[in-house]
Amino acid sequence: MNSILFSFGVMAAEAHGITGYIYPNEFELHWGLLVVLYPYLTGLVAGAFILASLERVFNVKVIMPVYRLSLLTALAFMLVAPLPLLAHLGHPERSFEMFLTPHSQSAMAMFGFVYAWYLMVVLLLEVWFDYRKDIVIKSREKRGIKKYFYKILTLGSTSLSEKALQFDNKAGRLITIIGIPSAFLLHGYVGFIFGSVKANPWWSSVLMPIVFLFSAIVSGIALVLLIYIVTSLVRWKQLNMACVNKLAEFLLYAMLVDFSLELLDFIQRLYESEESIAILSEMVSNRLFISLIITQIILGSLVPMFSIIMARFGRLPDELRRILYFLAAILVQVGIFSTRWNVVVGGQLFSKSLRGLTVYKLEIFGLEGVFMTIFLLLLPFVILYILTKVLPPWSDSDKSMSAPQG
Amino acid sequence: MQIKKRTNIKFNVPQQLIPLGILFILVITALIVARYLLVPPTFGELGHYRSQAIEDNLAHPMSYAGYYSCNECHDDMMELKNQSNHRGVACEVCHGPAAKHIEDPSEYLPDAPRDRGFCPLCHGYDPARPSGFPQIIPALHNPGHACIFCHDPHNPLLPHAPEECSACHRDIANQKAVSHHATLDCTECHVVAAEHLTDPRSALAQKPVERALCGKCHADDADASKGIPRVEMASHGQRYLCWDCHYPHSPEAY
Ligand code: HEC
Ligand code: HEC
Ligand code: HEC
Ligand code: HEC
Ligand code: HEC
Ligand code: HEC
Ligand code: HEC
Ligand code: HEC
Repeated sequence: MNSILFSFGVMAAEAHGITGYIYPNEFELHWGLLVVLYPYLTGLVAGAFILASLERVFNVKVIMPVYRLSLLTALAFMLVAPLPLLAHLGHPERSFEMFLTPHSQSAMAMFGFVYAWYLMVVLLLEVWFDYRKDIVIKSREKRGIKKYFYKILTLGSTSLSEKALQFDNKAGRLITIIGIPSAFLLHGYVGFIFGSVKANPWWSSVLMPIVFLFSAIVSGIALVLLIYIVTSLVRWKQLNMACVNKLAEFLLYAMLVDFSLELLDFIQRLYESEESIAILSEMVSNRLFISLIITQIILGSLVPMFSIIMARFGRLPDELRRILYFLAAILVQVGIFSTRWNVVVGGQLFSKSLRGLTVYKLEIFGLEGVFMTIFLLLLPFVILYILTKVLPPWSDSDKSMSAPQG
Repeated sequence: MQIKKRTNIKFNVPQQLIPLGILFILVITALIVARYLLVPPTFGELGHYRSQAIEDNLAHPMSYAGYYSCNECHDDMMELKNQSNHRGVACEVCHGPAAKHIEDPSEYLPDAPRDRGFCPLCHGYDPARPSGFPQIIPALHNPGHACIFCHDPHNPLLPHAPEECSACHRDIANQKAVSHHATLDCTECHVVAAEHLTDPRSALAQKPVERALCGKCHADDADASKGIPRVEMASHGQRYLCWDCHYPHSPEAY
């Protein structure tokens, strides 16, 4: 009877897609789609910001047209980045307690401070200094409620003297310089959380923060590239081809670094061949085959790299180039999302006994479901739309909006 | 508006820093005030938690009297139980929380679980329980009578020694019953002293140590039934014990 029960157990497990032996508490994954979304969103923030800082700190003049756009993109995604975590944990009303009673030994508890620093000291300040001149001008030109709105945004600092503008510029630069390590911190931190889980051979790796960082840069550049192409189309403006080419070039370099880092990580694991290697290879060749081999590596890395190389260095008409860049950037987004998926979900698919695999079942409705994820993915674009209405980032339309002097 | 007035005065500090400075001071003050108001007073005294929580828990009314407190009045019963197989089972596990009974024994008497449903909580068969733990299948084991009709709960002696190893090793017996070794008796492979059936831990049954045991039936030249599959003892499985690869209670040849 025992073995009949046992074979029932096996049959039930097979019906659930479980293979091999897993502990009872590994049946269900606790970090689901929303926890995949969270590193994806913070990655976009860090990436977009680092792109903006290229112009500011390293004086890459060509990408001027997307400088402000990438700042606003970073801001819009930053505002949404903590929402998946809040929805995942439940009880969002308790989240402020980690500010009140900071726990310095817990990396997760310190997130609030990393986030607050990045949002308030880096992003908001940089946007404010960058737009202050425009805000002041608007507060003078607009009428009615709008006038007061912009007046409040000036915070009372309305001087447009040469000296004041110069200071804006200097302050912006300084903040960007502080901002780069902060952006590294923000996303390195996310990788750190995963990399420091000693008990999980799929996560535990010192390379984790660095790989996260570079994939963040990749996703951020690709996102700004996408937004730039789409907004130009919608606004019936000529794309600045030099800028797009440069963006694609940066994207390619970042992808090369990212890809080789991941390859390095992979080879190291293979060479070390720790006892987990058997189950991890089984996981990669079964459970993660589509999301890792197909979408992350082939569609998300190799194909876009190849098409960017073709478009950037081949002799193609601009039309075709744009299309290739566009497709490549979309594939990169899909690829980076699968990267996050493979890290977060992959790390929970295999049993700590190293002898079995479980499956992840997506929730459709509910606080952690697909619809919530789609909503949280669209929300930053809505915020970005509003931001561009309030603080237009375009350098090519409105005469009164002037670009900073860099 | 106040700020606006100030801008007319010549400041060495750049004008932008004043509102920003005020804003940041406001935020930080808000944080400090919120901390002051919202952090519970005893937080952090002993660790990263509210130490008053300990007092709060201490203030809960006590329901259990504890194992040793029964000894004061029921020492005879305590002595009886402590030399029995229920020595590891505390009185209040069966009789429920009895703190009130200790305060006033005549006023409050604890319950005694007399019905059949209770004992199978521990003794009903469950393959997850360790092999050797006495387990019965309640539907089959003397149905219709209360357990205490035959077993004294404070000294659960068995009326007579169990006849089957399955009384305590049902998990193994069940597994063996549907395996290739179904026809084999447990004693074919295990030497079991009679005391093992009454006081199992003081006389543990022996486990096989030599592969020759399996050779009795499976060696090429063994004097056993023709249908039994044979292996060449010298080479098959090399120097490993047969049960390093085959589970003896449910052997498989893959
Ligand atoms: C202060 C002495 C005292 C202590 C300590 C004490 N008891 Fe009693 N207990 C009594 C007395 C007196 C009776 C009543 C005897 C009677 O009615 O025959 C009794 C009766 C009982 C009964 C029988 C109830 C019934 O239905 O007949 C149980 C069960 C019992 N006690 C359990 C316990 C347990 C368990 C403890 C330890 C937590 C305990 N007692 C501690 C004095 C005590
Ligand atoms: C395995 C469960 C179990 C444990 C452990 C247990 N009892 Fe009992 N006890 C019972 C049951 C069942 C009865 C009812 C017996 C009956 O009615 O014949 C009972 C009856 C009693 C009685 C009533 C007098 C009697 O003999 O009917 C007293 C007193 C008592 N128990 C005290 C204790 C004390 C003291 C301890 C701890 C030393 C203890 N019991 C441990 C199950 C238990
Ligand atoms: C809290 C769990 C628990 C409950 C409830 C419990 N027992 Fe036990 N019982 C044990 C333990 C532990 C042993 C000792 C097993 C061992 O020696 O490995 C035991 C041993 C026994 C034995 C001895 C078997 C042997 O081989 O000598 C009998 C009979 C028994 N219990 C009957 C009962 C009866 C009848 C009841 C209900 C009044 C009962 N038990 C309630 C835990 C429990
Ligand atoms: C009619 C008397 C009688 C009743 C009622 C009874 N038993 Fe038994 N029990 C025995 C005898 C006799 C043995 C020992 C021989 C055997 O294994 O059948 C035994 C053995 C046991 C064993 C040791 C394991 C085993 O299978 O031998 C446990 C545990 C046990 N009984 C628990 C209970 C429980 C729990 C109840 C109530 C649900 C209960 N008994 C009711 C007579 C009884
Ligand atoms: C009254 C209950 C009981 C009965 C009946 C019983 N056993 Fe056991 N057996 C035990 C307990 C208790 C242990 C010790 C389990 C432990 O310590 O993990 C044990 C252990 C064993 C072991 C392992 C010894 C070791 O060194 O690990 C074997 C083999 C064994 N029993 C065989 C048998 C066989 C064969 C029978 C039938 C002839 C039998 N037992 C009947 C209770 C019983
Ligand atoms: C074909 C020979 C064979 C038969 C028949 C057999 N056993 Fe065993 N048993 C073994 C061997 C060999 C071991 C030692 C396994 C080990 O050390 O890993 C063992 C180990 C055990 C153990 C120790 C716990 C464990 O699972 O390792 C228990 C208890 C046990 N047997 C009980 C039984 C009982 C009860 C039966 C009858 C239902 C039985 N055995 C029948 C060969 C046998
Ligand atoms: C008393 C004789 C006997 C002993 C001792 C014995 N076996 Fe067996 N064994 C059998 C019989 C009978 C079969 C069943 C043959 C059949 O399926 O018709 C069998 C079958 C097997 C099988 C084949 C299962 C299959 O899938 O066909 C294996 C493996 C095996 N035994 C291993 C062992 C091991 C290991 C030991 C030592 C712990 C052992 N046997 C001791 C009698 C014995
Ligand atoms: C290193 C692991 C290992 C060890 C040790 C081992 N076996 Fe096997 N045994 C196997 C494998 C694998 C098979 C199935 C493939 C085969 O037939 O060789 C098998 C098959 C068998 C069969 C079935 C043969 C048939 O023709 O169906 C029997 C009987 C058997 N083993 C008995 C034993 C006995 C007895 C011992 C100890 C002397 C033993 N085995 C030790 C791995 C092992």
